[in-house]
Amino acid sequence: MKTIYSILLLLLVANTSIAQNKYLTKSGKITFFSSSPMEDIKAENNQVLSIIDTSNGNMAISILMKSFHFEKALMQEHFNENYVESDKFPKATFKGKITDFESLSTLEKISIAGTITIHGVSKQITIQAAVKKTDDLISLKGDFLVKVADFNIEIPSVVAKNIAKEIKVSFELNHKPYKK
Amino acid sequence: MEHQIIKKMKAKKIIFAILILAIVGAFVAYKMYNKPHINVAETSSDISLQAKTIIDNFSSDETKANEKYLDKIIKVTGEIVSIKTENETTIISLNGNDFGNVLCYLSDETKNEISSLKEGQIISLKGICTGFLMDVVLVKCVITN
Repeated sequence: MKTIYSILLLLLVANTSIAQNKYLTKSGKITFFSSSPMEDIKAENNQVLSIIDTSNGNMAISILMKSFHFEKALMQEHFNENYVESDKFPKATFKGKITDFESLSTLEKISIAGTITIHGVSKQITIQAAVKKTDDLISLKGDFLVKVADFNIEIPSVVAKNIAKEIKVSFELNHKPYKK
Repeated sequence: MEHQIIKKMKAKKIIFAILILAIVGAFVAYKMYNKPHINVAETSSDISLQAKTIIDNFSSDETKANEKYLDKIIKVTGEIVSIKTENETTIISLNGNDFGNVLCYLSDETKNEISSLKEGQIISLKGICTGFLMDVVLVKCVITN
């Protein structure tokens, strides 16, 4: 009987420690920026879900494509309907691992290696991020470039001049400890 | 002589018509290019339901729910679980089921109206559904009552 109790207690402790290893945000910010001679296009998404497991450095990000807000409604419509086909591919995801996650609290810059999926196409990618870790916050901030052609996104030749071949994606994710 | 004058007048008329068409065309194109975003507060909701119903729909069949709710203006009623402001974003979370809640990201104009709200209160909000992550996400939300 005693062993059962101690096992139960152990499980309970193990469980809570697992919970403490998870940091999460539901209001992460991702923006992208396309600069071309014709016009600059910017879109912002403040509903990004991102989870970090500090016990193994795993990281997962989920982004709703429809959540990107453009300055012009027409651009948003074209983005969703013609380019990323949000009805068919409503989410973009990133799954990866933070290298050197053990020294997260002492480092200022980290790299995260993983797979990014946009428009149903997956690609290996390594992202650099500035990190700030305290007891109740893991903040990641940085940017990287994404090639439109890599993700099977077709831009009609009529507007090809208006959209950059490489899009700059910036992120700002402030994770808080996750309690259920 | 008379013939030539008539011809000239015809040509003028045609040029004039083309000019008008071009101006109208440019105006329409400009209007379309600058089409404003949908104003949630002034648009009536497409669907009106309980927070629990929409989360049930999404957790049982996400693809079907996406077809039904994505991009629609949805009025959702439920109990406030939490009100949080992070990085200038204010989120009201409505009680759903074991799988998740309904997260209502408030519009900039609505952010100032939250002082009277408290947890446990039943509230109706109207917003645009952009999908399902851990919770159902509604953006640009306004409070309807």
